[in-house]
Amino acid sequence: MPKKNLTVVHYLNQFFGQVGAEDKADVGFVVKDGPIGPGVALQKELGGRAEVIATIICGDNYFSKSPEEAGEEGLKLIEPYQPDLFFAGPAFEAGRYGVSCGAICKAVGEKLAIPVITGMSEENPGVEMYRKNAFICKTGISARDMVHSLQGMTKLAFKLVSGEREMNLVSRENLPKPHEYGYFHRLILRNEYTEKTAAERSVDKLLSKIKGEPFESEVVLPNLERVEPPPPIKDPSACEIALVSDGGLVPKGNPDGLSGRGNLRWTTYEIDDFLPEDFKSSDYEIAHTGYFPDEVLGNPSRLVPVDVMRDLVKEGKIGQLHPTFFCTSGNATVSGRCAEMGDEIGAEMKKRDIHAVIFTST
Amino acid sequence: MRLEIESIDIKDIHVGSKTCAEDRVLQVNLKELEELILKDSRIKSVDINVVYPGDRVRIVNLLDVVQPRCKIDQFEADFPGFVGRLRTAGSGRTRSLRGVAILVSNPLTKRKYSALLDMTGLGAELSRYGKMKNISIAPYISDGTEERDFEDAVKIAGLRTAIYLALAAEGHPTDEVEVYDLDIPSLEGDSDLPRVAYYYQMYSPQHDHRGISDPCFYGTDVRHLMPTIIHPNEVLDGGVVGHHTIRSLDTYTVQNHGVIKELYRRHGKDLFFAGVVFGVANIDPIIRKRKALMAANLIKNVLGADGVVITKIHGGMPHVDVALVGEECEKLGVKTSIYTQPLVSVGTLGDTLLFNNEALDLIITVGATFERVKLPLEADRILGGTAKTKVFLADPVDQYAGDPVIEMEEMLIAGVHDHLGGANIIVKEY
Repeated sequence: MPKKNLTVVHYLNQFFGQVGAEDKADVGFVVKDGPIGPGVALQKELGGRAEVIATIICGDNYFSKSPEEAGEEGLKLIEPYQPDLFFAGPAFEAGRYGVSCGAICKAVGEKLAIPVITGMSEENPGVEMYRKNAFICKTGISARDMVHSLQGMTKLAFKLVSGEREMNLVSRENLPKPHEYGYFHRLILRNEYTEKTAAERSVDKLLSKIKGEPFESEVVLPNLERVEPPPPIKDPSACEIALVSDGGLVPKGNPDGLSGRGNLRWTTYEIDDFLPEDFKSSDYEIAHTGYFPDEVLGNPSRLVPVDVMRDLVKEGKIGQLHPTFFCTSGNATVSGRCAEMGDEIGAEMKKRDIHAVIFTST
Repeated sequence: MRLEIESIDIKDIHVGSKTCAEDRVLQVNLKELEELILKDSRIKSVDINVVYPGDRVRIVNLLDVVQPRCKIDQFEADFPGFVGRLRTAGSGRTRSLRGVAILVSNPLTKRKYSALLDMTGLGAELSRYGKMKNISIAPYISDGTEERDFEDAVKIAGLRTAIYLALAAEGHPTDEVEVYDLDIPSLEGDSDLPRVAYYYQMYSPQHDHRGISDPCFYGTDVRHLMPTIIHPNEVLDGGVVGHHTIRSLDTYTVQNHGVIKELYRRHGKDLFFAGVVFGVANIDPIIRKRKALMAANLIKNVLGADGVVITKIHGGMPHVDVALVGEECEKLGVKTSIYTQPLVSVGTLGDTLLFNNEALDLIITVGATFERVKLPLEADRILGGTAKTKVFLADPVDQYAGDPVIEMEEMLIAGVHDHLGGANIIVKEY
């Protein structure tokens, strides 16, 4: 029996979906059988191996007003087809269309766990918003690049469904090389085998650097935001001060499931229950693999200085200790998530009208 | 200082009545080896097994991996300070057996981290040791021995086994002789070649088990060591060993040090190997600064280096530490090539840096050692532990050596990564 063709659903905006131009940008979702417009060219590239069975079309304005919701709405129309592959666009430089393609890819990829492929040019805002969620092929800025873009997207799609083990990756995952397959990397890092050892590379490049010749660093320095420290508080005796720590001090059993490394969560504990004056070391554990925790477990105030804070409150030097301790585990957590957690904790503190914060780390 | 390493390529290991080597086959008398290991009163008993590629065997609780080595022309000189008498390592003739490793397990380890090796399946495919014929030893503690003292005993049992096996190959023809001959102080030399030094961050006390540092340098620990100059041959020839856990680094890796061997290979051709400065990661910022200044000064003003390769030990804090050494070197005009291990597998490579200094513009990714792989294995035997041995994962989940599939961080699969630059691995954005 011949192998069944792969089934494909394709997403287009109102323009490429032949509903209308900008005046139709407010139109909601439309479903059509088979390929439409660029879908016909896509079908040609897919050849006999895959079949575009339906096209989902939506107006740019309608979609981009609330992309996540529209993505979910689109997903409901796509689900019944149970496709093997999902394509969107390509959107080239069109911003609203790029965001729509990204959002619908995200919804479909997360729910149906199938490869989702779209195409955009470098400047499209959809790239930064959705590169994590979709394979976004690099395209030119306009539809003049349509056939070339669809060829790239198709080649990538067939690679993704091939199930090949990538012997060049330590993890052996079937992950195509971004530069080879022309897509924007998806913010993940992988160990790749190379011809030269790290030792050989480091010496080669160092010699170039010493001689003043061009050399390529394997990591490009990021442009980090500078955070200005706020002005100091004027009168601590009139302040309510909160404690925050990323040392991973949690109750025994780690009820909130903080990870010991690469943790992405924060949580809170009420200090009176969590760290009473007659605490027992056996009631705690450390969800943090970056240090040897005996000192902290011996007396958790070594990490979260509740004992000293209580004294200072008694002495009238500090107005009040905020009753809630903000807890996370900061060990090889990606900096982007650290900044988000900072925003989240900061917002919660603002709500609680806390005046100042002491951060302790390990 | 001149060191000759005479290598014999071992093709097979047999268990036999006499420990010897013939036609590239190593024969081992397990009883005799057992008696040797049990001479240490800290060890009550020991399991010894020979394992081959393809065996459905998982070796757990690994504390070290060692290459069989012995001195040929010096008496009681192997691994000085650990086994042999104290002397300066790195000169004379050393016999080395290739294709064989000693897998050293501590079956009752209380450490959170311990490494493993599979002899078949993906785990074996990824590891250099998975393709070798190996001898697994797993000593058990004798009554009254303290935990940390016993760990030292296990380590030394591995080193003793290494010496014992290499000695047994006496008289066997040599397959290759490598010569490591370097006079460091020749600052006056008539060479126009750039002088390249190596900064070897070899330890970090941050994970010290029970607050005690692992001995790894002539029998002692290096926690309080000031930056110092050592001869690269001391590293290759037993003066330095691995720690008591394998995190992308073990004694085998040190014996075959990637950066040192590379600098030797190119010495006199396109560079002059200016020597090794040896340092330790520091928890305290003032101590860190003091030691970074000292290291940079040795590299620039004592070794006269134009450039330096800087490697780091596992972890985040050591990352900050090597960056400071690098910054101080660059300030003195010494060009740097600095190693990092991205500690996460998400984000961009730039996100993974724990420093931000324009002068540190040459960064080498030695491997994202926390990357995870799933290892399926229906093991016939589990050595160095049992099917119930807990296998570490940083998530709040429990998994055991006998599970049909376990998830592993690659740094805990012995022989995948190499912090000392010997592996053909780079980290890329995907």
